[in-house]
Amino acid sequence: MKTIKLDKNPLKLVKDVLNDLKASPDLGIYKCVQCGMCASICPGASQTEYDPRDMIRRVLENDETIIDDETIWDCFSCYTCNSICPSGNNASEVNQILRQMSIEKGEGAQKIKDFCAYGDSFMEMGIGSIPNEFFNVMVKDVGNKYMDLKVNIEDIRTDLGLGNYILPKESTDEIEAILDNSGFKVRLEKIKRCKK
Amino acid sequence: MSKAQLNKNKSNLKIGVFLCRCGGNISDIIDMEKLRLSVKAEVIEEFENLCSINGRKIIRDNIIKKNLDRVVVAACSPITHEKTFQNYVSPLNPYLLEMANIREQCSWVNPDNITATEKAISIVNAAIEKVKYSQPLVPILRKTPNTAAVIGGGISGISASLSLARQGIETYLIEKEPTIGGSMVKVGKLFSPEKLAEECAMCLLNPLVNEAVQNKNINIITNTTLKSAERRAGNFNLLIENKARKVITDRCISCGNCAEVCPVEVKDSWNEGMTIRKAIYKPFSQAVPDVYTIDPENCKKCGKCQDVCRMDAIDLTMEDEIIPMTVGSVVIATGHKTFDMNKRPEYSYGRHKDILTQMELARVMGVNGPTKGELLKPSDGKVPQRVVMIQCVGSRDEKPGGRKYCSKVCCMVAIKHANVIKQHYPDTDVIIGYTDMRTPGMYEKYFKYAQSNEVRLIRGRPGEIEEKDGIFIVRLEDTLSKEPLEIETDLVVLSTAMEPSEGTVDVSNILDVGLTEELFVKEKHSKIKPVATEVEGIYVCGTAQGPKDITDSIVQANAASAKVSELINGGVELEPFVANIDNSKCNLCKKCIDVCKYKAAFIQDNMLSVDPVACVGCGACLWECENNAIEIIGQTDEQILSMITGMLKDKKPDETRIIAFLDSVGYVSADNIGINKINVPSSIRIIKIPSMNRIMPKHLLHAFNMGADGIIMGEYPYNPMYSKTKEKVNGLKQELIKNNINPDRLAFYKVYIPYFRGLANKFNKFNNQIIELGKIGSKIDS
Repeated sequence: MKTIKLDKNPLKLVKDVLNDLKASPDLGIYKCVQCGMCASICPGASQTEYDPRDMIRRVLENDETIIDDETIWDCFSCYTCNSICPSGNNASEVNQILRQMSIEKGEGAQKIKDFCAYGDSFMEMGIGSIPNEFFNVMVKDVGNKYMDLKVNIEDIRTDLGLGNYILPKESTDEIEAILDNSGFKVRLEKIKRCKK
Repeated sequence: MSKAQLNKNKSNLKIGVFLCRCGGNISDIIDMEKLRLSVKAEVIEEFENLCSINGRKIIRDNIIKKNLDRVVVAACSPITHEKTFQNYVSPLNPYLLEMANIREQCSWVNPDNITATEKAISIVNAAIEKVKYSQPLVPILRKTPNTAAVIGGGISGISASLSLARQGIETYLIEKEPTIGGSMVKVGKLFSPEKLAEECAMCLLNPLVNEAVQNKNINIITNTTLKSAERRAGNFNLLIENKARKVITDRCISCGNCAEVCPVEVKDSWNEGMTIRKAIYKPFSQAVPDVYTIDPENCKKCGKCQDVCRMDAIDLTMEDEIIPMTVGSVVIATGHKTFDMNKRPEYSYGRHKDILTQMELARVMGVNGPTKGELLKPSDGKVPQRVVMIQCVGSRDEKPGGRKYCSKVCCMVAIKHANVIKQHYPDTDVIIGYTDMRTPGMYEKYFKYAQSNEVRLIRGRPGEIEEKDGIFIVRLEDTLSKEPLEIETDLVVLSTAMEPSEGTVDVSNILDVGLTEELFVKEKHSKIKPVATEVEGIYVCGTAQGPKDITDSIVQANAASAKVSELINGGVELEPFVANIDNSKCNLCKKCIDVCKYKAAFIQDNMLSVDPVACVGCGACLWECENNAIEIIGQTDEQILSMITGMLKDKKPDETRIIAFLDSVGYVSADNIGINKINVPSSIRIIKIPSMNRIMPKHLLHAFNMGADGIIMGEYPYNPMYSKTKEKVNGLKQELIKNNINPDRLAFYKVYIPYFRGLANKFNKFNNQIIELGKIGSKIDS
């Protein structure tokens, strides 16, 4: 049986979410009436076990197990829940804050390990690019057009009158210094070290 | 006696001071002998209990024998016995009496004889100084003419008119449509929690409409809107515009030949646009007045109707008419409209014929509707296999264009229609998708009744409706089983929000009546004045004031008519302490009109006037008036300044004195401190002022010049002018700085009647703070 214990801080989780840097000042978690309108149109909810309404309920009920719940990784960040919510809440945003909490705890890091290559790309070239690890997936999803694009990128850019996208070394050095000093690099390494 | 004469003689006025021992309540603490010797007056008398019949004799005998001009009674709080002593000073005018509160605000809060006596002396002195400037006054008697205008001819307006008329009040019932009846004529069936049945709306409404037609006190004016309004003390001058009906009411026998030949076809709003009518039409068969009307927007003036009319009732040259009228009161009953579905495209309304609103479903199921009461889908005329109703469409919705409130009736409306469907079409499945079923009170029985009729309820708010191969898919989450759900259906009904009608907004603007954030008519006080508006003499009822059902609308309509009747029959006797205008100084700048949240000031015949019923004498307008054309009777500058003088004139050099200006709430709170025998610093001297808005820099500067070491201002925060007061305190502090007075010597507090302990604490704290600051004029001030 579930017990609502005499807890000094029964709203800890919702307060942590609301106090998160990423939380919008008008994030309306408290106003949720559990109507399920978000879940009714959520593509994640229709295909997986993810339920944005239930996620909000668990946050409001201080159920910290939601942070480690696998289902929160099934959100597509399409923000339809936010656009439709009649109570001014934003399940997508709450989801992202919970994921960040999970990453901080360590559990969530493995979920984003594959994306570290994006970070590497920023460190090396100063711009984001689709990592090589995803090349095969992209070819499968987009088709041969993707391969053509990759191979002929220089010519295509020239045809379009676009300049060189490779940044000069002093720029990439500067960007790397910023990413280093801001703690991005350490964070990236930490995520890379986590075990799958 | 004019004010000038009074002031000229003020030094020669014969003042009688009567001191009450209050059976020891006052005399056990206060040294009565010293008090008597310290006060200067023509007569000084002391008695055991002045409020007794013997006290009355002492006061009256002295007034007559010694020819007294003014009386001061030093006794309990004026709240306890002012009315008593006002009677006792007869034959003197009751307003020539001033009370000095030396019990609640002196002997009961100061246990020390010496300081209590000193305080009593200053309280009596303040009363003596003030009474010198008092004028003989008479209470204001409001006379309201025995006429009323009711704007809006729905169930609320009809009910209000009937109640007014039955009380003998001449009533104009003004309706913008060609017929009265409003929304109630369209809904077909009414929900009824007691009988667990759906009743015929028309059968209940018709007798009321007939009575309204027959009642000699009711003038039904249809096809008419309010154009302008002007308020004059106790009267409203209205201009109404009567749109030309182009049919002579007295001649038309409602045969309908005209409509048969009319070539113009337009959507019929009576059937929510689901059927067509002609440009000459009668909205429905029981319409009142029972005549045809030409819709000028669509009429092509072909004259065919004139050709067939045997009564010669049609006059295409008839023109709109502006009619002036004067009434004593106005009742706003302008009703509501339903939510504009264009704002919620996710429900595909308007794109598919078989997605209806509840009002459209009401027409479909109405026996006088497009299908003669049969539940048939508009698309193919077949009975639906399933009906899915979606609740809270546009209600409880914080998205742009949405309504944040609950529309209050939609749960019952959905249940009503679901019940009717299940009774006549048991094979049609009915599902209501809801967020919360709100069926308060007896309606819970009605809800249970629907469940027993096999109406199904799924908890979840649908996010979208999709059409697939001729059927609708309603997507929602079954929030109880935590499952996203797709419901297939062939008819969808949307329970749309109730919104204020355009008429509600227009009429309120014309009448200068305040609206809520949602644009419903705002009541004067949502708890204790639920049908009064901000403007005296204008009342509101029905859905113009907020979403509600027919029962509540009728209750409110009757309440509004009772309020109108109170004004007419009771007359209202009011204290005359209101703003008085010196029109020779007024330049009609209208700043006072803008600042007054009580809407008491208005311009009449190029002269500024004040409605004494609306004015509370707060004094906010005095600040705005550059020409000093306004004074508050009973709180003139002379009176306020003289009270301050009286409170401070005998201050000793080593003494600390603090003037506390309190509004009427603060004053009662201060009395409560006394009643509960809580000690208050002896420095505190309380002066009652109707509102802190009255306090101006000159009053504060006078007090500091006379030796006050600190000043407190206390105001109840839930009065309409409070925000103005707060602004002003900052301005006052700036004035103090300009005059080299430390602004910390002025404190502003919120006061409440039950929080007297808090007020006593504040007195103590401020007293300590002032002692720390030192005496007025010390170094810290310059």
